[in-house]
Amino acid sequence: MNLVRNLVPLSVILALGVGVACKKPAPAPAPVEPAAVTAPEPAPAPQTQTNDDDAARKAAEEAEAARKAEAERMAAFKAAAAAALKDINFEFDKSDIREVDKTKLQAIADFLKAYPDAKLQIAGNCDERGTVEYNLALGERRAHAAQSYLTSLGVDEGRLATISYGKEKPEVDGHDDASWLINRNDQFTLQ
Amino acid sequence: MKLVLLGLLLLVGPILGAQAPPSQEVVLSTSAGSKFGVAVPFPQVQGVAPATVTKEFHEVLNRDLEEAGPFSVLRNQLPTATDPASYPAWVTAGTEWLILTGITRKDGGDVDVTVQVVDVMAAQTKNAKTAVFSKRYTGKEGALRRIAHRISDDLMAQLTGESGVAGTRVVFVREVGRGIKEVYQVDRDGANARALTSYRSLTISPTVAADGRIAYVTYKGGTPEIWGQRTPGGPHVRLYPTAGRPGGNCFCPVWSPNGRRLALVQGDRRGNTDILVLDVATGRVRRLTDSNCINTDPTWNPAGTQLAFTSDREGGPQVFLMGDDGSNVRRLTQEGTYNASPCWSPSGAMIAYVSRFEGKFDLFVYKLGEGKAYQITTGVASSESPSWSPDERRIVFSSGSRGGMQLYTTDLSGNTLRRLVDLSGCQSPKGTRSW
Repeated sequence: MNLVRNLVPLSVILALGVGVACKKPAPAPAPVEPAAVTAPEPAPAPQTQTNDDDAARKAAEEAEAARKAEAERMAAFKAAAAAALKDINFEFDKSDIREVDKTKLQAIADFLKAYPDAKLQIAGNCDERGTVEYNLALGERRAHAAQSYLTSLGVDEGRLATISYGKEKPEVDGHDDASWLINRNDQFTLQ
Repeated sequence: MKLVLLGLLLLVGPILGAQAPPSQEVVLSTSAGSKFGVAVPFPQVQGVAPATVTKEFHEVLNRDLEEAGPFSVLRNQLPTATDPASYPAWVTAGTEWLILTGITRKDGGDVDVTVQVVDVMAAQTKNAKTAVFSKRYTGKEGALRRIAHRISDDLMAQLTGESGVAGTRVVFVREVGRGIKEVYQVDRDGANARALTSYRSLTISPTVAADGRIAYVTYKGGTPEIWGQRTPGGPHVRLYPTAGRPGGNCFCPVWSPNGRRLALVQGDRRGNTDILVLDVATGRVRRLTDSNCINTDPTWNPAGTQLAFTSDREGGPQVFLMGDDGSNVRRLTQEGTYNASPCWSPSGAMIAYVSRFEGKFDLFVYKLGEGKAYQITTGVASSESPSWSPDERRIVFSSGSRGGMQLYTTDLSGNTLRRLVDLSGCQSPKGTRSW
């Protein structure tokens, strides 16, 4: 009984560990060995004990199966997030979504549709040129540009928090055109 | 004396815009001969190690006086005696003021510093007043450096009628780890650098009220909020968003001159940023801008009746002015495609800002009375975040290329550039008189 009761917190912990609660129906449980279900020991005296042992074993196996299923689901979720949540980039002093980034945003929208409980933070960033405060405002606008585009693809705005780091947290340290392009971005992270 | 005061009014020539050649200077008077000759013989010392006096007092006072502007500090081939009979020799050496000091360690460990200034030039004339200044300073032995700053500021006040800035400080932001920035302060002479926050988070955009209270933006709670002090020396608490108010990322707090209001910037739901004014005691908030664009970088005029700010409402970033109720918005900067970071001067006559030209940013000063902009720095490196010294004679700013930003000060001619402190990764300096 204790084991069974422990199942719930375990899955909750697993879910929280990644920051997402999975409400989707669990996949079919892994097949349980028939022996575990259908092998009652007939001996009367130790029967209670034996039934208890069986129940405990069964519970443990179910727990193990559920844990495996949860882990697989998490692995799939993480893989999908890693595949979908790619930075998008911007031109200097601009916050328009570039054509080349629209497929990335579509992939993010598809990911959010596949995982309806996932929430994102969109962080707008700038390259080192320009002033601290103007870049904070520009990063704000870049984050909202992606939020607005994802909303237009059907994602609920409430799932998309925005933040701006301006030029305070560059992704790379370089001081050339290539580095600046990388640093003018929106970054998408699970919340 | 009149020549000296003219020397203070260093002017730089007008420029036609960001494309103009380096500024032509109109210097009314800067020759060494017009400066006021002073000499500071080594103090009479009792109970304090001479090496300490040299490092923490005598060198400090000499440097403060030199950097004050109007003084020429005489240091070589000076008379050794300081009695009245020696005055003619001091005059011959170029001295007007002979600054006599004494340092005595008292029983409790405190030190007494006495200062007597003799006008050796006037002593040549019969019946002229020769003792122009006399004052006693007391403090801990560790306070000798601070006392030297106070003496320099008092002597500036004696000469010009306005206190000097030797005893002022600069509050700034320093990167202490990747993505981790804290608010720091340092004395104007580069001494006593220390952290004012230790959140191990991104903490930026400090502002200092006239009574010394600081405010800043910190991301320590995950999103950018305004934190700071409600009382001088008090604990650091969240100032905005106040409880019950809708969130929204907050940036760039700036204390009003009387310290009761805080101009700040908040993002809206469409990605625009607006300037609000928070009455810190009541929590009341007034929105000054509400347009479909970026509005940031607020800076108050000394009366607290107007603000300058940066907006891209007409395309790229430009500096605008408005009333403290958001009325009467008009554009200030006319030349160049990227003008930002305005900082209103303490007298109200000038606004410093940065302008981008050929990929680099330089400091400019807009003189409101003339309606003209003057270029201060000429771009070897990108210069940012100008802030005035309390006497309005220098601008502290950050500058550097390839990420290694350091803090510098410059006079308005751009000729005497000094590094403020030997620390890298510094930004957003704010000059302040308060302690």
